[in-house]
Amino acid sequence: MNALQRHRALSRIWASAPGLRGWFTTVNHTDLGRMFLVVAVFFFIVGGILAMLIRAQLASPRSAFLGPDHYNQVFTMHGTIMMFLFAIPLFEGLAVYLLPKMLGTRDLAFPRLTAYGFWCYVFGGAMMVFSLLAGVAPDSGWFMYPPLSSTIGAPGINPDFWLIGITFVEISAISAAVEITVTILRYRAPGMSLSRMPIFAWYALVTAVMILTGFPPLILGSILLELERAFGLPFFQVAQGGDALLWQHLFWLFGHPEVYIIFLPAAGAISTILPVMARTTLMGYGWIVAAAVSLGVLSFGLWVHHMFTTGIPHMGLAFFSAASTLVAVPTAVQIFAWIGTLSKGQPRLHLPMLWLLAFFATFVIGGLTGVMVAIVPFDWQAHDTYFIVAHLHYVLIGGFVFPMLAALYYWTPHFTGRKTYFQLGDAAFWLVFVGFHGTFLLLHWAGLLGMRRRIDTYEAGQGWEAINLIASISGFVMAIGFALVLIDVVINAVVAIRGSRDPWGAGTLEWAMPTPAAPYNFASLPHVTSRDPLYDDPALPVRLARGEGYLGDPARGRRETLSVEIASGAPRYITVFPGNTGLPMLMSAVTGLFFLGMLLKAYWLVPVSALGVIGCALFWAWSLGGTTPEGPLPVGRGPALVTASEAADPPGWWGSIFLLLADGTFFGSLLFGYAFLWTIAPNWPPPSYAEPSLGLAATVLAGAALAGLGARLRPLAGLVLGVAGVGALALAAIWTLTLVPDPAAHAYNATLWVLVGYALLHQAIALLMLLFLAFRRRAGHIGALSGGEPRIVRLWCDYAALVSLVVALAIGLPGWLT
Amino acid sequence: MADVKAVLRLSLPLGIWLASFSAVYGLHGLLCSSRWAAPPLGLSERALLIGAAIAAIAAQSLCLAVMWSPRWQDPDLSIRRVSLALAATALVAAIWTLVPATATASCI
Repeated sequence: MNALQRHRALSRIWASAPGLRGWFTTVNHTDLGRMFLVVAVFFFIVGGILAMLIRAQLASPRSAFLGPDHYNQVFTMHGTIMMFLFAIPLFEGLAVYLLPKMLGTRDLAFPRLTAYGFWCYVFGGAMMVFSLLAGVAPDSGWFMYPPLSSTIGAPGINPDFWLIGITFVEISAISAAVEITVTILRYRAPGMSLSRMPIFAWYALVTAVMILTGFPPLILGSILLELERAFGLPFFQVAQGGDALLWQHLFWLFGHPEVYIIFLPAAGAISTILPVMARTTLMGYGWIVAAAVSLGVLSFGLWVHHMFTTGIPHMGLAFFSAASTLVAVPTAVQIFAWIGTLSKGQPRLHLPMLWLLAFFATFVIGGLTGVMVAIVPFDWQAHDTYFIVAHLHYVLIGGFVFPMLAALYYWTPHFTGRKTYFQLGDAAFWLVFVGFHGTFLLLHWAGLLGMRRRIDTYEAGQGWEAINLIASISGFVMAIGFALVLIDVVINAVVAIRGSRDPWGAGTLEWAMPTPAAPYNFASLPHVTSRDPLYDDPALPVRLARGEGYLGDPARGRRETLSVEIASGAPRYITVFPGNTGLPMLMSAVTGLFFLGMLLKAYWLVPVSALGVIGCALFWAWSLGGTTPEGPLPVGRGPALVTASEAADPPGWWGSIFLLLADGTFFGSLLFGYAFLWTIAPNWPPPSYAEPSLGLAATVLAGAALAGLGARLRPLAGLVLGVAGVGALALAAIWTLTLVPDPAAHAYNATLWVLVGYALLHQAIALLMLLFLAFRRRAGHIGALSGGEPRIVRLWCDYAALVSLVVALAIGLPGWLT
Repeated sequence: MADVKAVLRLSLPLGIWLASFSAVYGLHGLLCSSRWAAPPLGLSERALLIGAAIAAIAAQSLCLAVMWSPRWQDPDLSIRRVSLALAATALVAAIWTLVPATATASCI
């Protein structure tokens, strides 16, 4: 088989459906990555237009351009769109598109999950845009502090759009994070050990794990606030034992890591592009990996610095002030490594490099003002002023948008397969750069002169007029610059001639393929022996196209790639990916009905759509694997490997591990909220604590033991014991609810209901899995009989049992202690 | 098993810091809340917090020693260096972020 025949055979196997149907049924990461990126850019344009409306309103004192109601919606949606619908999805899109190519594999770990996440993002984003067009957009600020966002401060539907729409969109982020984590750990080219991974993959890995642990507190906060708004469960109502500060803790437990979730992918792009532009290799690879991991973890210890003015005791402030200053160190390590890389190379001033220089100039200023606001006395002066607005834009635009523009110019030849032909790029750069600093530099001074953020207008004579006028004019200059960037890229995609395979002379694997990329990425998978495979072997792309790597023979006629050991990158098993399907889109639409039912208070729709989601998920899982054992199969270059369905740790097991990481963080946040209210909230203790009886405690213990045991025994006995155990746990949960019958009476009752509801949800999942496994065994599915499926079910049963025990303990504790 | 060990070497050092930092902050919240019993054995809040900070720093020191020990080192030199750098970072982070326990008022 020659290279062309191989290309045709692989294209038949991997290609998406032709025409419009392909858009809705594709599960290919290249397609979905592009779709993510295009939709994210659309939202950037929407968010940018809102920013222009803000600047138009603030250009002069006492402006009547926007009334306060509309202004509140505009600034809330500007922040919301930029953070949730632009920045995070842009990272997801870039990672979805690039990672398999950089890692030397053919697709992401769970292609249908990629598609499901994308459609959740589109439907959730559409919900938010609809609210804007209908004039009922969220208007309580992008961090939705209660009581401003409670029914007291906002009785309309506006905050519900935020709480429900953003939670819907976050499904997409969690899906992508699981996907990215498992892909980086298990789906790399053979030989690519952890220390040979491209630096972008390290950053993406840290970012994905941060999403898994950073987003759950916000999802929890959104659910609690929506439960309060819809059903009167008073988590944030002081009179009934709630506390508005609980929201701030949950929000910023997400919100501060979010800043680094946005910055780190950009830093990954910088670490990838900068050495290529400097015609050298990255200086201090190990130091940069350590700095990225440090930044990722340290960022979870900073959340209280957003709450310095809320009356927290001085020692608490000092803990978080110290942590906030500390985080500058790993950031500086990266900056110095990049400067070192520039100094040892011979930099070329192409457009990507120009944007990287803009990043350096801007982000360092944003970082230094960040250190200023980490100091408590200064923060007390600057809090909630335009100084903060200026600081955060320096960090986010300087630290994310500018590097992403460098990435856009760097990888556009890969997206389009065309030569670099950017005639407007320089002009666009200078308009954006000058416009940006003209907008935000002076706003630091406006903040120091006392201009508060979120105000819809101001009186003349406070020294703010000239600053705001210059900022508004500059803002429009910046907008023109961004428009030119878009026009420039579109012109390039349409007009430029076909380009060469590796126009920048890079060493990473995404350039070892023809561009635009074929749907299968690599005709055969490479064996990697260094961090820059193309520098070691410039003929690698040709050899891969000839089928000299792994899985170069498409004779089995299905979508195959290799899974490897995490640490060494040694080949482990063959993964067979599913074909094109509309199931992910259908499932995300049904998921959307669930959220729509909540939003419109059409509660009959909620259980119906939940059943629909379960049905889709069961159909989804049923189609995995086959009923005939295949044994070890040849993969080329020597080894013979079994398929994932015959392996003890299939991709689903790893996916479950990381999904449970997010799930466990959600549960931990819930327990934190419970402890917080118990310790801090006014109007505690409640009129009475629940006092579980010995019978109830015994039921929980017996149920947990049986559920754990059932997941480990032989099929029939295991099923009976497991179902009995989960049934006992559910009985105990419902019994507990009878101890506190009115969840709206006090925050304590409300919290107990949520804790029990969480346990019930996981008991239902465990029950479904036990039954599903029994049916799979009966139908003779290999994965259920000898592979990893029982191990996955065991994991979820154990988690349900553990959660039930902890919930029982948490509920019983106050009664026993008092 | 080698897979799990590699992941643990990279995630444990700062994971311990995050857990101990959160625990000390949580303890601070409990000690300053009027709803909880006074510190045991006649100790002051500050003494307890300093004790917790010392325990956290000791845990980080132990973690660094473990990463240094040939028995626990990763076979890959790069990963070994990164895990050592992370363990050292975590120790510095524990000292720097918990030193306020010795210097500021506990519950004002």
